[in-house]
Amino acid sequence: MLVDLQGPWSPLLGRLALSQIPYENHILAPLFVVVVILGLAIIAAISYFGKWGYLWREWLTTVDHKKIGIMYILIGLVMLFRGFMDALMIRTQQAMAVGPDAPGYLGALHGYLAPYHFGQIYSAHGVIMILLAATPLLVGIMNVIVPLQIGARDMAYPYLNALGLWVTAAAAALVMVSLFVGDFSHNGWFGIAPIFELSYSPGVGVDYWMWVMQLTALGSTLGSINILATVVKMRAPGMTWLRLPIFTWAAVASNIIALTSFPALTVALALIGFDRYLGTHFFTAGLGGNLMLYTNLFWIWGHPEVYFVILPAFGMISEIIPTFSEKPLFGYVTMVLATFGIAGASWAVWLHHFFTMGAGPAVNSFFSVATMLVGIPTGVKVFNWAFTMYRGRLRFETAMLWAVGAVFLLLLGGLTGMMLAIPAINYMVHNSVFVIAHFHQMLLVIVYAIFGAVTYWWPKVFGFKLNEAWGKAVFWLFTAGSVLVFVPMFTLGFMGMTRRLDYVFNTQWQPLLDIQVLGIAVYSLSVLAFVGMLYVSIRDHAKNQVSVDAWGTARSLEWMTPSPVPFYNFAVVPHINARDEWAWRKEHGFTDLRPDHYEDIHMPKNTGIPLILGALMFLLGFGLTWRIWWLCALSLALIIALVIIRSFDSDTGYTIPADEVERMERGHHERARAVDLPAAGVLGGAIAYGQADPAVKGQGAALGGGMTSPEGSRV
Amino acid sequence: MSHDNPLQHPEVQVASGRGYLLTFLVSTLLMGVALFLVTSHSVAPFGLMLALSLCAGLAVIVQIYFLMHMDLSEAQIWNTFALVLTIPLFILAIGLTAWMFQELYQRTMVMLPGMPGMLH
Repeated sequence: MLVDLQGPWSPLLGRLALSQIPYENHILAPLFVVVVILGLAIIAAISYFGKWGYLWREWLTTVDHKKIGIMYILIGLVMLFRGFMDALMIRTQQAMAVGPDAPGYLGALHGYLAPYHFGQIYSAHGVIMILLAATPLLVGIMNVIVPLQIGARDMAYPYLNALGLWVTAAAAALVMVSLFVGDFSHNGWFGIAPIFELSYSPGVGVDYWMWVMQLTALGSTLGSINILATVVKMRAPGMTWLRLPIFTWAAVASNIIALTSFPALTVALALIGFDRYLGTHFFTAGLGGNLMLYTNLFWIWGHPEVYFVILPAFGMISEIIPTFSEKPLFGYVTMVLATFGIAGASWAVWLHHFFTMGAGPAVNSFFSVATMLVGIPTGVKVFNWAFTMYRGRLRFETAMLWAVGAVFLLLLGGLTGMMLAIPAINYMVHNSVFVIAHFHQMLLVIVYAIFGAVTYWWPKVFGFKLNEAWGKAVFWLFTAGSVLVFVPMFTLGFMGMTRRLDYVFNTQWQPLLDIQVLGIAVYSLSVLAFVGMLYVSIRDHAKNQVSVDAWGTARSLEWMTPSPVPFYNFAVVPHINARDEWAWRKEHGFTDLRPDHYEDIHMPKNTGIPLILGALMFLLGFGLTWRIWWLCALSLALIIALVIIRSFDSDTGYTIPADEVERMERGHHERARAVDLPAAGVLGGAIAYGQADPAVKGQGAALGGGMTSPEGSRV
Repeated sequence: MSHDNPLQHPEVQVASGRGYLLTFLVSTLLMGVALFLVTSHSVAPFGLMLALSLCAGLAVIVQIYFLMHMDLSEAQIWNTFALVLTIPLFILAIGLTAWMFQELYQRTMVMLPGMPGMLH
C-alpha cells in the first residue's frame, strides 16, 4: 500500500541516515555548534541556579492563561528571529548574485547560496513568519488579554490551552530540527502543486513542511475553540455583547475564521499526505489528479488565515489609539461591524491568489469585486481611528507610535491590495516582487501592532514599563528598515523582477537590491535595539514600577487588575456597568472598591500532560517525516492512551481559601499604594481622591446600588 | 466559588450509546457504498463524483444528528448558532469552487468523463 521510495530505508531508522546530517554545509555546521553550545549554556545556567523545579512548576506545567500567553509570545519572538535570519540571507544572496559575472562562494555558482538551499530558505521564511511567528505572537497576546478584558479568571478550557501551546511548540521544534536533520521544503510556504509530489520532491523537505503545517493547524484550532468558548461563556456579569472590549471582538471574529478555515488546510495537507505516502493521485499532473484543486483548497484556508492574523492586529490598534488619544474609540458599533464584515468577506475572495489560473472573466470579476469590497470595512476602521485621534490629547509614546505606524502601513498595503484586486493589473504583476512588497506591508501592519501591543500591555503583565527611549529607537530603526527594503521592492516589482530568484539576471537592478541590503542592515540594528530595550528595561525595572493603570488613560477592564496580574486575575468577579468599564469607574470614582468579604476561588491544577503530549506530537511528526513507522505507532498509541487517562482524572482543580485571597489582595493593594505614592495626583490621584472625599463616598453609595454585589462597598 | 457538576448541564448531556453505535454503523455503510462504487467503476467519473458527494452529505447529516445531537432546543442554542454560521460558508466554499472549476474546464478542455458540459 505504501509507495516505493527512492533511496534507502530501514525499519529501525526509516529514511534517516548519517548522510542526512548536513555536517559539510559551511553555514549549518557552524550554526549547529553554536546552537549546541548555547543550549548547553542554558541547561548549565538553569542547573547552576537550581531553577529546574521552578521551571517545571511555574512554567512547563502551568495552565495559567497569562503564562501560556507569555510562552506563546516567547516562541513567536524566537521564530520571528529565525524568520528574520532567513530574510537576511534572501536579501544578501539576491544582492550578491546579480549578473553572470557575480562571484560564487561556498559552493554556489553566484552568491553564497545554492538554488536548492535558497529554495528552502524562502520556504522556511514564509512558513515560519506566518504560522510560527505572527500566529503564536497574536495567539499569545489574545491568551493574556482576552480573559482579563471580559473579567474571567482563566480560559474556559485551561488544559486545552496548555495543549494548544505545546502542540505549537512541537511544530516550532520540528521546523528547527529540519535545519540540522535532512532538509526543508523548497516549494514555497504555500506548496506549489505538483512540485511537492514525491516524484519531483523525493526528499523529506516536503514531509517536514506538511507535518509542521498540520501541527500548527491543530494547535490553532484548539486555541480558537478555547477563546470562543471563553468569550461566549465566561464574561463577567453585566458584560453584554455590546460592552465587549474591541480587542475581544477582534479575537472573536478572528477565531471564528480560524475555527472554520483550518479544516480546509488540514484536508489539503492530508490529501498531499495520501499522494506522498500511499501513492494516490489527488494533486498529480496526470492520472486524474487536479493540481489546481490543491491551490484552491489551500487558499480557501489561506485567505481567511490572512484575516485571522490581521484582525487581532486591528483590535490592538483599536485599544492603543484611544488610550493615547485620551478619548473613547470613535464608532464602536461600526468597528465591530467592520470586523465582522472583513471576517465574512474573507470567505469569498480566495481566488485572487490565482487569478491567472484562467477561470474566465465571470469568475475573476466576482472575486475581484469581492476583494475590493474588503476595502469598505477596512476603510471604516481607518476613518474610525482617525476620528478617534481627531481633537484628542495625543501622546506619542512608543505604543502609540507603533499603532500610528501600523495605520500608515495599512494604507500602503491596502491601496496596493486594491491594485492587485484588479485582474488586469494582477496579470501584469503576478508573481513579481510587487506582490511580495504588498503582502509584506500587510504583515508589517501585524508586526507593528504586535510591537505596539507588547509595549502597551507589558506593564500589565510584568508590573513595570519598557524603556521609552530604547522603545522609540526600535521603532525608528524598524521603520527606516521597512522603508529601505520595501520601497525598492515595489519599484523592482514594477520593473518586472519576479519573486524567489536565487540569481538575478538584470544588472540594472543592482542599486535597488543594494538599498534593500542597507535596509536589512538597519533592520538588524533594530533587532539589537530590541534586545537593548529588554536589557535596559529589566535592569531598571525597580524604577519603572507601575500600579493598576500604567498609562493613566486606559479604558478597558484589564486595567482594573493589579499589575502584575495575580494568577486568579480578579479576587472578586467584577460587575460591568459600561462599555469602557475602567474609564467609567475612573469617572465615577470607583477605582478603589474593596469587597466586604472574599470568597473561595476555584482554580485549575497544573498538569504536565500537555507538555508530554506536545513532545509525543513532535515525535509523531518526526517519525512520519522520516517514515519511522514504529516511532509513529508508539507515539500515537501513547498520545491516545494519555488522552484517555487524563479524561478519567476528575481531580483537576483546587480551591484558594477566602482568607488566603484576602491576604494576597492586601499585598497587591500595598504594592499599588507604594508605587502610586510618588506620582500622586497623576496616576494615583483617583485612588487618593476616592479615599478622602466623603461627598464622593455618598455618591458612590447611591450609584453603587446596582453594583454592590458581589464587589461590596469601598473601604 | 462553587462549581456545579459540569456533566449536569443540558448542553453536555448528549451522550447516547445507541446514537454513537448507529452513527458508526451508518457511516461505515456509507463508506462501504462509496468504496464499492469506486472500485467497481459502476458509474462514469462525473457521476461517481456526484454519488460520492451524496454519500458524504448523508454522512454529515447522520453525524450532526446522531453523533453531535444537534437540535433546535434552547439548551443547544450555541450549536444551532454555529450550524447557521457554517452552512453559508459551506455553500460558499463548495459552490464557488464548483463554479470556478467548471469555468476552468470549459477553457482548458479538461473534462471528467460523463460531465454534462462535454458536448460542446
